[in-house]
Amino acid sequence: MVERRKVRRSGLTMPVVTPRFVDAAWTRGCDYINLDLEDSVPIHLKGYARGLIKDAIGNVSKGGAEAFTRINHDFIQADLESIIWPGLEKVNYPKAEYACEIEKLDWIITRLERERGIRHGSVEIGTNIETSVGVANSYEIASASPRIKEFGGATGYDMSRDLGVEMFVGFDQFVYGKGEVELTARALGLEVRAAPYTANVSGSVSDPDRAFEEAEAARRCGFRIGGGLHPNVVAPQVKGFTPNQDEVDDARWVLEQVRDLEGSSDTWKEVVKDGQARIVDAYEAERATELLEWAELCAQRDQGKEEAVARTRAEEAAVKTGQATSGGN
Amino acid sequence: MPWFNHAVDDSAGGDPSASWLATAALYYLGLSAQPEVVPNQRIASDSLKNGLPCNNCMTDRIRRSWLLVPMSKPERVDSAHLAGADVVVLDLAELVAERDKPAARDNMQQALGRVRAGGSEAFAQVDPELLYADLRASVWPELTGVVVNRLESPDQIRETSRLLDELEEERGLIPGSLAIVASVETAKGNLNAHEIATASPRVTGLTLGRADLVMDLRPEPSGEIHLYQYLMQRLIIVANSFGVTPIGAWWRAPDRGLLATPERTLEAAIRGRAIGFKGSMCLLDAQVSSLNEGFTPAAFEIEAASKLTAAYRDRVGGPGPAILADTMTVSGVEGFGDLIAEPAAVDQARNLIDLAGRCGARDEAKNAALEQRPVPAP
Repeated sequence: MVERRKVRRSGLTMPVVTPRFVDAAWTRGCDYINLDLEDSVPIHLKGYARGLIKDAIGNVSKGGAEAFTRINHDFIQADLESIIWPGLEKVNYPKAEYACEIEKLDWIITRLERERGIRHGSVEIGTNIETSVGVANSYEIASASPRIKEFGGATGYDMSRDLGVEMFVGFDQFVYGKGEVELTARALGLEVRAAPYTANVSGSVSDPDRAFEEAEAARRCGFRIGGGLHPNVVAPQVKGFTPNQDEVDDARWVLEQVRDLEGSSDTWKEVVKDGQARIVDAYEAERATELLEWAELCAQRDQGKEEAVARTRAEEAAVKTGQATSGGN
Repeated sequence: MPWFNHAVDDSAGGDPSASWLATAALYYLGLSAQPEVVPNQRIASDSLKNGLPCNNCMTDRIRRSWLLVPMSKPERVDSAHLAGADVVVLDLAELVAERDKPAARDNMQQALGRVRAGGSEAFAQVDPELLYADLRASVWPELTGVVVNRLESPDQIRETSRLLDELEEERGLIPGSLAIVASVETAKGNLNAHEIATASPRVTGLTLGRADLVMDLRPEPSGEIHLYQYLMQRLIIVANSFGVTPIGAWWRAPDRGLLATPERTLEAAIRGRAIGFKGSMCLLDAQVSSLNEGFTPAAFEIEAASKLTAAYRDRVGGPGPAILADTMTVSGVEGFGDLIAEPAAVDQARNLIDLAGRCGARDEAKNAALEQRPVPAP
């Protein structure tokens, strides 16, 4: 079965123990919601938090978002027992350091899928590389389970802590680690979770303009996965990771130009477009094809989410009407 | 069918240099014709480089500019020897449309001779999936080596090397004399660069080729090409750790797929030399002189190096007092501050002067070839 590329332009990571976040999640317009059991849940609430996941999966996906859960690095068994339920698309595993950790996750998930009537192999494992040990073992980690579909990391708060460096400085302090992780992802044919470097010295998690700029730079660089912590960044990320009409038109133009090359002895040509000299060749054609496919997937995803939101609103309205009717009798 | 479709007879193998030595011995005994000696090529021997793989002893060759010329473009092929490139890479792989490949292969032997007549070394770029046909078309006495593009595994190097063994024997070339430059343009190739570099003593160079296109690495807002800094540094460390030459330049957007204006090519070469590349590939005749210039030490660098070595010689070699740190600084070199004349810096300065001299000799040899004067021995 050919799996369709997932559209994950925007997503919110939220503590599952905070009802006002979880209950509003489906209205945010995210492509995914990441229910957190890890750093945003204090240690004394971990047990309580686990019990909330099963209902939250259905709750947060009412608007068409995929539901993920981030578990704790140290509580694999207890966390997995309480989160692997129908509707969960992915388990995010933080601070991955050794392949054997992933193998263990895979065994437990495989058993729980079978016990709970979930299609075998359908729950993804998302691993985040956040330590030096993880960087050193990234190839072994990324190849430890076929459940890993996308790969990235070697940046962020945990990586900064691991290295003992500040996160928000005016230059890229993670060049080597990010390179190792990305080379691994590419060599294994996984979706690359990365972004070009843009200087960020403010550390703001809620700045919509910055979120849009970063998302757009990432899209132009060929990356497709976003995510954040604050509702302000959802819409800018969706917009920033979606090709605009100019780019779609340009991609079609490239494919037309490449058609002219077929049957000639030239493998590339230079064409002036809008006063700019452009190279057209098979590589540009490949990029253009990918962009058009991605634009189509984004449009389908947006439509799917719109329909889900409309369905949920209609159901809620029906429930309200029903209540009003029964109250009237 | 596997990508290699050619049976290799290992029973006739053994040490490739031994068969050449045997031929030579028979010649000196008057029992056979003179063994064919290809100019500028030496026998591979593990003993010549402190026990390290020999890499054909060619890693010190001056190869600043590697001009890629599509064999399907006769006008480009005919003028390639005039471009002033240290190496002309006659391409059968990347820039040749599929339907033009048979004709391109047929023209190879003649093109090689023409390139050599202009004083450039001649490489062929071959496709790892079409090795048999591409190598049979390319292995002639004028060939220095092959660039294998989109290399991903050490097995591909070993297969290339086996085919070269056979063709060298069949066509009377010195066994083991043909070099391989591995162009690692994919993620797998870069990941395996270490194994690739050590898969055969023929491997003399590693390059990223057109990795920016093959791996779809695009410009970042800073102008750097995404992932490129990491890949360059990785390649350079891997190459140097095995005595292999790192070939490349530090391209920045809008440079793309080895293509850039002459000005931007010069900048890429200067940056590239600064991080350890020794020469780079390019696509256009107009880029060649930029690469030659960028990978040659500049006059001001040579002057500073000369002053440094002279000062060191005076103080260490002279009858003066014991050497103190404060007597070892060299001041007044234009464009520099107080320089320290410590052994590593002086050694580096001597290497730079040596490199400049060899670059000059290389240029002189190319000019002489073009003017059909006798080429000085390397």
